[in-house]
Amino acid sequence: MKRIIQISITGGKGGTGKSFVATNLAILLAKKHDLLLADLDLEAPNDHVLLGIDKLHNKEDIKVFLPFIDYKKCTLCGICAKICDTGAIFMPPKNPPIVFPRLCSGCKACYYACPYGAIIEGGHVIAHSYLTIIRKFNVSFKLLTGILRPGEEHVPPGLAIIKRKARDLAKEILLIDTGAGTGSSISIALQYSDLVIAVTEPTPLGLHDLESILKIVNGLGYRTWVIINRYGLGPIDNHLKIMKMYGVEKYFKIPYSMDAVKSYIQGIPIVAYNPDSIVSKSFYDVYQVLEDEIL
Amino acid sequence: MSSSDLIEIVIASGKGGVGKSTIAASLAIILRNSGYRVVAVDADAEAPNLHLVLGINRWDRILEHREGRIGFVRDDKCIYCGYCYDSCAFGAIEEKSGRYVINPWICEGCFTCSFVCPVKAISFKYNVLAGYIKIAYSTPYKFPLVSSEIKPGRPNSGKLVTEAKNLGRTISSGKGVIIVDAAAGIGCQVIASLAGSHLALLVAEPTPASFSDLKRIHKLTKHFGIPSTLVVNKYDLNEKFVSEIIEYARKENIELLGLLPYDDSVPKSMTMGKPVIYAYPNSDITKGIMEIANRLLTIVRNWKSWRLEHIPEKIEPFIPVIIKPRSWVR
Repeated sequence: MKRIIQISITGGKGGTGKSFVATNLAILLAKKHDLLLADLDLEAPNDHVLLGIDKLHNKEDIKVFLPFIDYKKCTLCGICAKICDTGAIFMPPKNPPIVFPRLCSGCKACYYACPYGAIIEGGHVIAHSYLTIIRKFNVSFKLLTGILRPGEEHVPPGLAIIKRKARDLAKEILLIDTGAGTGSSISIALQYSDLVIAVTEPTPLGLHDLESILKIVNGLGYRTWVIINRYGLGPIDNHLKIMKMYGVEKYFKIPYSMDAVKSYIQGIPIVAYNPDSIVSKSFYDVYQVLEDEIL
Repeated sequence: MSSSDLIEIVIASGKGGVGKSTIAASLAIILRNSGYRVVAVDADAEAPNLHLVLGINRWDRILEHREGRIGFVRDDKCIYCGYCYDSCAFGAIEEKSGRYVINPWICEGCFTCSFVCPVKAISFKYNVLAGYIKIAYSTPYKFPLVSSEIKPGRPNSGKLVTEAKNLGRTISSGKGVIIVDAAAGIGCQVIASLAGSHLALLVAEPTPASFSDLKRIHKLTKHFGIPSTLVVNKYDLNEKFVSEIIEYARKENIELLGLLPYDDSVPKSMTMGKPVIYAYPNSDITKGIMEIANRLLTIVRNWKSWRLEHIPEKIEPFIPVIIKPRSWVR
């Protein structure tokens, strides 16, 4: 079995700098290693935007299961509607079930539950994945991007498919950028991590959501580091207490600086845009410790 | 009760961290101070922060939300066939030193594994705690706050959001304004926030990432046929880009409510646990928020006619992409 190292960037709160950290670390890591960056924020994927990539390549449909009723076999027993957790199968009185594709999560429980084999396997495209080779900033690496079709709501099964794809495609390092949030879809993105880096900000909001995400990572039992982004904006005493409580191994500070904002707007990661900035220097520190302790 | 007695305003952005909760808190306060009945709903169940921006840390009621199941493999019965591992759509089943283990942070309890297991080795824990709905009836701002909060690692946060919103509607008795602070993204939580709402207030900052997400969230509001307004936050970070966003808004019939500057008062007021309009009443951002609130008040006062002018001309229905099995006949 091939051994890949999975490093996952997460944070709970939106806008703390997850993609900012992921894209900058990607560039530093890709100098010496074979790297796949997986943007698993299906709802609002932005890694390609931050890398200044206009066009994504190698589009693929992400299909999940969708039930179709075999009307010849259906006895109107209603078991499929009963087993469905998401209300995607409706049983009108004395009529065969009706399926609402958007509500279906694709779990396939109805397919197995039907005693009469009256459910046929169909599919439903909920997202797309793209695999783009990035050759920029004097490095080269692969970017896997998952993009949800606007209007679809059940992210987890589609996310699980793209995650599996990322694990299959990665050769040496898999760097994962998760979405905002603390629900089960974040757990799917974090699953099998060798290291989780939670990005937070020095505000009570960042603190609150950091604690939620640390609960998950702690429960999953993965090694955890924290990056305090926009350091200097407010106190971090309580952040440090929470981090200790949840067994965070290390933390890094990325100072608040207009340099970061400028690079972000340009679509050029700061380590490439302004290598001498104090922000870039903080990224080199994180990279060096990764190199020494994880890789 | 006619629907025009109640206006539900959803603050959404696609991208996280652009200022939804700060804007939601301030607007709720100003609308209340202008004489409207207000209920605030925190619909970001996976990262609920509105109470922190409002400095609310006491709840009058905390309701447990229990739903769903978590499966576990019984080692005494398991024959290690791996059918469960192959069948789980969520990848929740892991192989750990020769055993199959269901990851409780991922499992939704859908029963699929228990159906494929030939020896009935999978059992379930039922009625799992999925999250809370917290209610503060009396707040210093004279409006109630309903907050949804998922238990970390649990699925279906959208269901919790729907419950919190329904509770907010009940508390409002069908009158006044409900301010819904939505989650980042465009998934189930945001769809639950938009469902049945009347007006979307979209927040963007002048960065390519936020603009990209603004277009995605606006696609959703169009699916729902909800008229949209826009606030550009931190506009002075990149003034050149602002015109591009405004141009997009104009083309899409999104009414621009105003621009807000980047202001250190915002993170400072968060640390104080005070809404920025009270913590820094003379700051630039407070002035900007007041102007935006005035425009919003004009819309709320003239709701019926404004709505007619701004409702999307045609609803762009969501069309799922379906792959029919070959053997299937209607």
